[in-house]
Amino acid sequence: MERLRERQGEAITAAILAGLVLVLLVTGEKQSLVIGTITGAAYGFVALGLVLIYKSSGVFNFAQGEFGTVAVYTLYLLDFDVPYGIALLGALAVAVVFGVVVERVVVRPLFDAPRVTLLVATAGVALLSIAVQVWFGEATARPVDRALPTLDRVTLLDVQISDQRILLLVALGVLAALLAVFFNKTNLGLAILGASQEPTATELMGISVKRLSTLTWAIAALLGGIAGVLAVPETGGFAPGILTSSFLIPAFTAAVIGGMTSLPGAFLGGVIIGVIEAVAASAPVFEDLPGSPGTLLVFIALIIVLTARPQGLLGKAG
Amino acid sequence: MSVLETRSVSIRFGGVFANTDVSLKVGEWEIVGIIGPNGAGKTTAFNIVTGFYRPNSGRVLFKGRDVTDLPVHQRTALGMGRTFQNVGLVKGSTVRENLVSAQYLESDYSVLAGMLGSPRTFVAERGLRRKADAVAELMGLGDILDTQVVGLPYGVLKRVEIATVLATDPDLVLLDEPSSGMGPEEAHELGDTLLELRRELGISIAMIEHHVPLVVRVCDYVYCLNFGQMLAEGLPDEVRNHPQVVTAYLGEEAENPEIAGAEKQLESLLDSE
Amino acid sequence: MATTVERDRPGGDDRPGAAAASGTEPGVRARFTPSPLGWAARGVAWVALAWLVLVFPLSREGFELQRFSQAVIYGIIGLSLNVLLGYVGQISLGHQAFVGIGAFTSAYIVTEQNLSFWAGVGAGVAVGGLQALVLGGVSLRITGLYFALVTLSYGLVAEQNVFQIEELTGGGQGQPAPKPSGFESDWRYYYLCLAFLAIVLWVDWRMMRTKAGRALLALRENPRVASTFGINVKVLTLLAFVVSGAFAGLGGALLAHNDTFVSPETWSFNLALVFVIMTVVGGLRSRAGVVIGSAFFALIGYLLQKFPALQDGLNAIPGAPDLSREIAPLVIGPILLLVTLTLFPGGIGQQIRPIVGWLRGRRFDLRDRGPKEVQITDVRA
Repeated sequence: MERLRERQGEAITAAILAGLVLVLLVTGEKQSLVIGTITGAAYGFVALGLVLIYKSSGVFNFAQGEFGTVAVYTLYLLDFDVPYGIALLGALAVAVVFGVVVERVVVRPLFDAPRVTLLVATAGVALLSIAVQVWFGEATARPVDRALPTLDRVTLLDVQISDQRILLLVALGVLAALLAVFFNKTNLGLAILGASQEPTATELMGISVKRLSTLTWAIAALLGGIAGVLAVPETGGFAPGILTSSFLIPAFTAAVIGGMTSLPGAFLGGVIIGVIEAVAASAPVFEDLPGSPGTLLVFIALIIVLTARPQGLLGKAG
Repeated sequence: MSVLETRSVSIRFGGVFANTDVSLKVGEWEIVGIIGPNGAGKTTAFNIVTGFYRPNSGRVLFKGRDVTDLPVHQRTALGMGRTFQNVGLVKGSTVRENLVSAQYLESDYSVLAGMLGSPRTFVAERGLRRKADAVAELMGLGDILDTQVVGLPYGVLKRVEIATVLATDPDLVLLDEPSSGMGPEEAHELGDTLLELRRELGISIAMIEHHVPLVVRVCDYVYCLNFGQMLAEGLPDEVRNHPQVVTAYLGEEAENPEIAGAEKQLESLLDSE
Repeated sequence: MATTVERDRPGGDDRPGAAAASGTEPGVRARFTPSPLGWAARGVAWVALAWLVLVFPLSREGFELQRFSQAVIYGIIGLSLNVLLGYVGQISLGHQAFVGIGAFTSAYIVTEQNLSFWAGVGAGVAVGGLQALVLGGVSLRITGLYFALVTLSYGLVAEQNVFQIEELTGGGQGQPAPKPSGFESDWRYYYLCLAFLAIVLWVDWRMMRTKAGRALLALRENPRVASTFGINVKVLTLLAFVVSGAFAGLGGALLAHNDTFVSPETWSFNLALVFVIMTVVGGLRSRAGVVIGSAFFALIGYLLQKFPALQDGLNAIPGAPDLSREIAPLVIGPILLLVTLTLFPGGIGQQIRPIVGWLRGRRFDLRDRGPKEVQITDVRA
């Protein structure tokens, strides 16, 4: 029964993707396909972190975006004084520390609280992070350097693809694969998943659920940090809370579409959302919509998925 | 006319046939017992009767009326009340508040009038509280009316729960293991209470029970379920001595060590009361 | 045979918890009444409160009065979110949309349709309730955490799509919303807002003291049990949404006419979080707490301006740049939220229970922390 559903999910996904590609090619929206996939990759990155935390503790982590923003901020500050590579590492380190601090100060005390309470708490963390950024910095956008400067390595379907973007895609693919292996094959990974479903049994086996929780959040923060430093330089500049305001909602929707319990789903969902947004921005049929059509379409996608197939494309039902 | 009748009710969850062709009847003013090993499908039958599940086939008739497709709250309105295995109460409220809440359908004013605070609602509210106090007295709970439910001992909770069911003015009360957690003396008192409630309030009772002496003492008729099917039915003495019933409890106990209760029941089955 | 009725012990007083459960010894349940001095003290306190709310603001200038009116309106908004968050247990991260819709509706009715303020407010209430009803319907099908996402997304759509519709909202320019005739002066408008707050408090109080409120509390904790009490869980949930939306729409309409202008930028996700924070910090299910919490958040900037000492205190944090009036609420808010969630779950409302109890004629009991909060069964996401 499970196997059938999974096959079904994969079949539907393949059908949707094929359909999307066809429609876009036919309607002349080739650029959207490329642009969408690239921005979608960034969404997928953030979504990976969201799914990770959800799988291990059942929490919707509203601070996921801020892991990235904090990393970008650090990168920006350090880049003035130290070589880019070191700045990058420093940025990721700060993100991980931030994640661990959040886990200790906010998540641990609320370990047994309703998941909704934790949602609100992480939203509070996000807001605090943004407020501190505004406080210590400025509210305006600042540019930040890319890791790889070549802008036009490849031109695909009339769209310039920079090295940075390729790096993003490759990193995403590699990390998604690594995480999949980690969670399905290694003891530690399985333990993380097991801890949320059977905390008592996990403790009895000598594994500290608390340590696992810290580790999970550290990994999620790392993912968020990587998402930030790879994706934001491409967007031209960063302002306080950039990953939360620009990436978090699409990333959540991507995770829901892919299935909150599926890591590859997060990646896939990200790409789908990216393409939807790209199409919304460029397709003439949406020109007359008031305001930002992308927001509306993402909302509609969310509603459709939640009512028609709540477990998402690749998630487990129930 | 029977108060409750189920006709060939069956329900399936995935591959599990939780109830198959279950037919039972509760006559007016009868106390009917439903026994059977754990996992026999007794609570499932209750859930179908009260409306938490829709059966795959079969009908449920309440006071002659087909209620199979009615939602739970409408069955309560018709006069069906039930208790739950893990005590169905609003734990964050006091005993009195629970008793008043249970009179939701009895309140003499509309929701809107309540929100606007017409004088009538104040009067009605006082009436609800008086009735709550009366029901509490009936079940011996007068002292703890203002206590929050969450701190009370398990045995007391069961009586509070019965009180809240009574507050809904039921014609039929479905009790899910009312004596669980009670010792022999308390269970005996419970039996007294049930008989008295039947006499004073004219209600019919269906109860899922493991406590055989209680069943034998108060029930007019007994059904025994096993593996979701009706195994035996009849007068309490007949059923408890029925060879297949004895085997069912014996067999269950051998395979499933959790049924420590079944062991006790076996002893009392073989003893005479 | 009639022993059950004559029993005077709930299951035996040697049972652990039985005596503690009844709280006092049987028969010695005297009601506490304050001494004449106690009454006098309480009277003075009530008068002081009344002065603070009714008289003190009048001595202020127009702009300050607008801040006070805003504080009162935030109280209404906090109460509306409390219905969802506190009574039903549903999270709404898009509440700014509920309020904004009320604001734009009222502005539209008054400016474009040339109807009276009262029609505008009425329309705001109606539209607020209606869109809440739709969202409530969605909540019946989509559980807990996912519904939070839906409300969040909905809030964004409201800000970035709905509020950008030119005909309704003047496009990005915003819509004027003049004050009602007869209430043009700031102090009159302030009293008008107070009157509306009083109405909202009344309806909320009556609702929770009667069948609807009890039904909500039951279904929040245990929907199965609520059904067996005869409660139609779906209808009651929708009702609560409508009430929440109506209050929010009212708040929005009042806000619009307080600022005499409505623009789309106000209704951002940021505001949604502010609303959630002020309600949670105020204390779920505590009317007094929510109103105080909401007023506080509305007045932070004002307080910092009025009491430079506070501002200096905030600026004294070593190594940090000055915490300006605009940024302070952004920082203070989430900190208070996290402190509330982790350390003081009942918020302000829980902390002031002893005081509120005292004001109502009960003994001042520092340990009165309200009913023990039962862990709500987690919503399956």
